[in-house]
Amino acid sequence: MAHRNLLYLLSLKELRTRYKKSILGWAWSLFNPLSQMLIFTVIFIYVFKASAPIGDPSGLKNFPLYFMSGLLPFNFFSITVGVSIGAVQGGAGLIKKVQFPHEHLVFSVVVAQFITLMIELTMLAVAMFIGGNNILPWLPLLFVVLIFLALFSSGVALMLSAANVFYHDINYLWGILSQILFYATPIIYNPATINLRALVLIANYGPTGSFITAIHNIVYDLRVPGTGRLLELAVIGIATFFFGLWVFNRLSPHFAEEM
Amino acid sequence: MAAAALTVDHLTKTFRLHSEKNNSLKMLIAGKKRNRYEEFTALRDVTFDVKEGEVFGVIGENGSGKSTLLKCMAGILQPNAGSVHVSKRMSALLELGAGFHPELSGRDNVFLNAAILGMARREIAGRFDEIVEFSGLESFIDSPVKTYSTGMYVRLAFAVAINVDPQLLIIDEILAVGDVTFQQKCLEKFVDFRNEGRTIVLVTHAMNSVKDMCDRAIWLTHGVVTGEGDPAELVEAYTEMMLGDRNRNEDGSVRRGSGEIQIERVELFVGASETPVKRFRTSDSIRLRLHYRAEKSVPKPVFGFAIEHLGGATVTAPCTRDVGLLPASVSGEGYVEIAMDNVAMLPGTYDLHTSITDFNRQHEYDNLHLALRFDVMTGKPYETGGLVTMRPTWTIQS
Repeated sequence: MAHRNLLYLLSLKELRTRYKKSILGWAWSLFNPLSQMLIFTVIFIYVFKASAPIGDPSGLKNFPLYFMSGLLPFNFFSITVGVSIGAVQGGAGLIKKVQFPHEHLVFSVVVAQFITLMIELTMLAVAMFIGGNNILPWLPLLFVVLIFLALFSSGVALMLSAANVFYHDINYLWGILSQILFYATPIIYNPATINLRALVLIANYGPTGSFITAIHNIVYDLRVPGTGRLLELAVIGIATFFFGLWVFNRLSPHFAEEM
Repeated sequence: MAAAALTVDHLTKTFRLHSEKNNSLKMLIAGKKRNRYEEFTALRDVTFDVKEGEVFGVIGENGSGKSTLLKCMAGILQPNAGSVHVSKRMSALLELGAGFHPELSGRDNVFLNAAILGMARREIAGRFDEIVEFSGLESFIDSPVKTYSTGMYVRLAFAVAINVDPQLLIIDEILAVGDVTFQQKCLEKFVDFRNEGRTIVLVTHAMNSVKDMCDRAIWLTHGVVTGEGDPAELVEAYTEMMLGDRNRNEDGSVRRGSGEIQIERVELFVGASETPVKRFRTSDSIRLRLHYRAEKSVPKPVFGFAIEHLGGATVTAPCTRDVGLLPASVSGEGYVEIAMDNVAMLPGTYDLHTSITDFNRQHEYDNLHLALRFDVMTGKPYETGGLVTMRPTWTIQS
């Protein structure tokens, strides 16, 4: 399987070259979410004087942990899509000169980001344990949800990175869109405390909201999300993935000419 | 007859030439009115096939559609009509080192590049040593390739590409990489490939390599196949056309140049005779006489002769500048004569090309290609191979 080998090596390249020529290297992948956590904790607790959501049934009440358990998976999604768009655009030299399965440019980003997410979540698990939540028995379920999230992210990344070859606006559009999605996802707030009905609906049932809510359920509340919710995530993940792949495969034969 | 390794069937490829390439959503939304473009046909109804084990050449001037054809064959571009069918494992070398990452070591890049070219992991591992040995970069293989010189970079890339073990190899004028030693290595590898019966498609400007290596060739002009068949004939026709087809004379010679001074005719004499001839024997003494006529005074002209074997090899190409024979200026009529004693050329047919240039050999006043064709007949000594004899003395010790 030459192509699986290509995916493996491209992912490895993605991971190895990311923090080359930086002294702190991989630590940077932690500083960004940590600094965000610090900022939002200060704003949330001291500026808005809000209280952290209480985990049901875990009883955990800790805003930084709530924030991180939402931010890390969301960042995985938004970074994967953003980097994929750049990877396909930046792969022009290769695409114009060699025939190879272009989708691996995207998949390698997904794999590399997923591995990064695993490392980050391991640290979160330790922090959760210190905070009082033992998420060890919940990891298999969490992993299933994250697989669906990875499929969903791949689908969006495939679609947008292919479209971006034809219209570079997509790249800029994604910068704005991911920001809007960040606030439309329950990361810095608890949807239960919000009066704005539209936002509550989006936060609970929008695609990213659905994933983050389920992940909150598992690692913060320590309970199984409803079967309906899990089914919804499976459908969103698988459908988005195959639709994205279909779009990508239709457009990719024309990449070389467009670039 | 051998089966086809590659079939190109009525291939047509057009490009859209936008007056201003503008990839923005605005254009999509603003509608078709603004999206004006012209269609440009890079390839029109191209059909040919390459047989298994054949070395096939594609020649054509810049913009003739060679590269587009290559990219269509390699599967990088999609044809608008027609098809390309490849029945063998193919490797297309369009650019060396595509996908090399500067921060990664040579070793990592070998694996990555080979994977991009379609090799499986085990296969690469098995060939790794061979690749490194071929590149000659054993001691640098674990350094990042950004520390490599351009030559090293290209050598490593070529080493990977050539070791992909393709049954069908498509090459885009990249044999001319690296230093002389490395080029020799590449050429040997290429000949090995040929002898192993692999199929090779060579797209190039290097006419000599087409003549020497290819079994068959096609000639592309503005996206249309204008010739197919024997490479030597095609190259001859191509070269003549490139030199200017309008100046073809009745006797088959081709003239170009600015014309201040012109070559009237060229004559060949044997010994002291004053009768022009068209043949002589090995070891004869000959004189070549170039008659010129200058409309006005031409400063410091350089007269040059080139004797080329019919097979394409240049036997000798002396010019007056080489011996410091530099008249301050020349005008009117006259001739230049060059005498060669005891000529070492072996039997065969040869062409004589002549030229008159300025001192820097850049500007051509006149160039008469194929000014004279002559035969060398069997004389003494006689040898069956080669173009010239070194008049060897043999000794066998027992």
